[in-house]
Amino acid sequence: MLTTNRVAAVTLGALAVVVLFESRKLPLGSLHNPGPAYMPVLLALALLVFAILVGAYGGASRGLGAVGWSEWRHAAAILGTCAFAAIALERLGYRLTMAIALGFLIGVIERQGVFVTLTLAVALAAGSYLLFDTLLRVPLPRGPFGL
Amino acid sequence: MRRARVLVGVVALAVVAGIAGAQESYPTRPITLVAPFPPGGVADLTARPVAASLEKILKTPVGVVNKTGAAGAVGMQYVATSRPDGYTLLLALSSISIIPEADKIFGRPPAFTIEQFAPIALVSADPTVLVVRAESPWKTAREFIEDAQKRPGQISYSSSGVYGTLHMAMALLEHAANVKLRHVPYAGAGPALTAILGGHVDALASGPAVVLPHLKAGKLRALAGWGEARVASLPDVPTFKELGYPDAEFYIWAGVFAGKGTPEPILTRLRDAMRQVVADPDFKGAMDKLETPIVFKQGEEFQRFFDADARRLAAGVRRVGRIETK
Amino acid sequence: MTETVHNLLLGFSVALSPPVLLYAFVGCVVGTIVGVLPGVGPLAGISLLLPATFGLDATKAIVMLAGIYYGAMYGGSTTSILMRIPGEAASVMTCIDGYAMARKGRAGAALAIAAVGSYVAGTVSVVALMFLAPPLASFALRFGPPEYFALLILGLLVLAYMSSGSMVKALAMATLGLLLGMIGIDQMTGYFRFAYGVVELGDGIGVVPVAVGLFGLSEILATAGQETPPAVIKPTLRELLPSRQEWKDANWPIWRGTVLGFLIGIIPGSAHIISSFVSYAVERRLARRPEEFGQGAVAGVAGPESANNSATSGAFVPMLALGVPSGPIPAVMLAAMMVHGVSPGPLLIKQQPELFWGFIASMYVGNVVLLILNLPLVGVFVNLLRVPYPLLYPGILVFCILGVYAVNSSVVDVWIMLVMGLVGYLLRKLEFEPAPIVLGVILAPMIEMALRQSLAMSDGQYAIFLTRPIATTLLAVGVLLVLLSFKSLITHGFDWRERMAMAEKGDEL
Repeated sequence: MLTTNRVAAVTLGALAVVVLFESRKLPLGSLHNPGPAYMPVLLALALLVFAILVGAYGGASRGLGAVGWSEWRHAAAILGTCAFAAIALERLGYRLTMAIALGFLIGVIERQGVFVTLTLAVALAAGSYLLFDTLLRVPLPRGPFGL
Repeated sequence: MRRARVLVGVVALAVVAGIAGAQESYPTRPITLVAPFPPGGVADLTARPVAASLEKILKTPVGVVNKTGAAGAVGMQYVATSRPDGYTLLLALSSISIIPEADKIFGRPPAFTIEQFAPIALVSADPTVLVVRAESPWKTAREFIEDAQKRPGQISYSSSGVYGTLHMAMALLEHAANVKLRHVPYAGAGPALTAILGGHVDALASGPAVVLPHLKAGKLRALAGWGEARVASLPDVPTFKELGYPDAEFYIWAGVFAGKGTPEPILTRLRDAMRQVVADPDFKGAMDKLETPIVFKQGEEFQRFFDADARRLAAGVRRVGRIETK
Repeated sequence: MTETVHNLLLGFSVALSPPVLLYAFVGCVVGTIVGVLPGVGPLAGISLLLPATFGLDATKAIVMLAGIYYGAMYGGSTTSILMRIPGEAASVMTCIDGYAMARKGRAGAALAIAAVGSYVAGTVSVVALMFLAPPLASFALRFGPPEYFALLILGLLVLAYMSSGSMVKALAMATLGLLLGMIGIDQMTGYFRFAYGVVELGDGIGVVPVAVGLFGLSEILATAGQETPPAVIKPTLRELLPSRQEWKDANWPIWRGTVLGFLIGIIPGSAHIISSFVSYAVERRLARRPEEFGQGAVAGVAGPESANNSATSGAFVPMLALGVPSGPIPAVMLAAMMVHGVSPGPLLIKQQPELFWGFIASMYVGNVVLLILNLPLVGVFVNLLRVPYPLLYPGILVFCILGVYAVNSSVVDVWIMLVMGLVGYLLRKLEFEPAPIVLGVILAPMIEMALRQSLAMSDGQYAIFLTRPIATTLLAVGVLLVLLSFKSLITHGFDWRERMAMAEKGDEL
């Protein structure tokens, strides 16, 4: 039965093993002169122990399905928008990227009216740029057309 | 048909004019000067007066952008991989020669190589100086070196990080004077200075500007310098060259670079501009306030300086090799 | 004493002169804006705005930068309380109880308590700075790697008090955080660890994207898609201010936070970030009803916020008294001074009394300005919460991305925030707590470096920890604390935390 604790335990344990695996390329050093791999290995071993402990008491936690994932599609859309922003930020420039991202979120995901979407998207993108890049001189990326 | 030919002719003319115009009228857009270190550091504080003066001379906005990370590697890699159109420049410190060597000895693909840059001008070259605490028993560099030879590995020094500029200076000294010192790396020049002021290490190789107030206040003592000539603000401090260790030569220098492949006319324009920058009284005043003397080299001279420095540092890094963990 | 008063009067005459006052005000306003922006904390704020001060004279520049610093500390609590997004790394603990208070309708109270606590802490710590700077500075300098290591180990113990649920889960999260902190260049040997060729990861994944992602982004991910959007809270004016009981609850935590924060702040290095974490732990340990923490305990907001602000004054102690760059922020201030031709050093106080005392006086003034600025803004900010969530969160998202990007002009940071947002979302679902991860990310590189530096200093001898008095004392305190908690384990059967967790979840450990 997939309980939250068991899932967590397996994930954390797997992560610990990956770290141990990746650390083998780095010198371990000794107790008196720890190398770059020393602390990561120690921590990965500790994580493994904790993962096992969490999993051992896993029966008592809730089942995975009972947690309530109703909003996952929404969350995925938001994450996707963030990913788009990360990719486009230095290519399309700040204002264009944010306007598109906001337009998508407010218009498509939240299904607000066209007028509200356009106003908010443009206002927030341009306004935040004005405040931070122009007034406070925090450099924000510019894209094509100097946007 | 005739109209089409006229159209083609007009377009061709426009294109040619455009190309010619673009070359003649560089710069047409704002220029970015990348400082690969955080604000407040040596690179940043040197970059800003340079940018301000360049802006006046080239009549186009020149903005300083700090792209920090990995001891400067992030910013340097950024310029190395940007389009070499003359609009993205780099203000680099001597670590530009160190980082690719360090990458090599670790067997990882280098973040960038020095061949990816076209040098424009050297702006400052501060020799490092060896400082110890005022309470320490060594009054001259010779005493220090003799003591180090008697007790290998006992005298400790701090640095701004492994393979950093302050570490490499000491490494060059260790090789030149045949001594072995104990290295305690810190995360930056600031913490390295704090460490010696707190008495946690015995020695430090530092740029003169930052330690000057402490020397004047009597907390630290300068023993010798890594330069070819004595530091202007420390006329009583001999150089290692005078003391018989000519291999111990190290400068924390700052220079302006463009990406390799930048068209020659643009490079020439930039070199001309830099010549005017160092003559600019505002620039001179700013550098005075930083207590950093202007050392200007260009063209052949800069190339020679850069090559010699790079060779020295590369050899030094290879000698240090990978830090042995027993 | 009279000399100090005389100097202080000199300082006030400088600080209250209209041009200087104007720049202090501008600095405070800018700092507040910067602080409210998620992720961009005082260091980023000062660094970004340093160039803007180049045209000014030394005193005005320093005063403005200090105003930005303070303003950012004040502003950072605003987003933490209202939206569970840390304004900077040090505000992470305020996210926990501050946001819980906001959810209960006590947002105004939380904001007001944070503002007042910050004011008290800021003012008291400036007084301490004034009188105690030179002797404290010499003491602070004696903190070398071994002392640092001992102190950070104590900081790790703080983790034990950060969780409301299972101890094992909290420890697992802490270990995860510590592991995440291992990413980057190993400062002692130059090896790249777990960076996979991404040069930007050389300095580690950075606590700002982690904090904003784990707390802020995950909150948005979890809340935005709910069928019933979070209830819009419309408080009345009276509800905006804290009740008498809340003021009483806040009193002692504010004083304790002030002292604690100041002491941690004077230590050179980046230790001052953990002042809010330590304060949270102390308040929880001393509270009469510790189970309130996490559900909106006033002390959980008052203590950390005060500790934050007094740590900022503490950080100036070594800088002003000795001219030592005792951390990244003092280093930037020192650079600002150098650029303006003021050479910082041990003689700064003697040679430049107008600068030093003007600076001190402007800190008083700045604190007053910020209090006056922030209290009315409480009403404004709380009204922001009235905006329906579907329209509010895209705006918050934009500011999160902006803030995280602006710190280093790096898109890699935005990606890290994204990934940590997903992680935070999953952790919520799996019932793990994210706060220990943030502490782990902060502490890991510092602890490892301190340990290896200490061993480098002593050529591999662990005895160095026992031959230096400060380090030994700190380690002894740590051992004592561990033993004490074991004692309660033995005598009472289980810790109150375990009892509470067991009661809630029925025998889960």
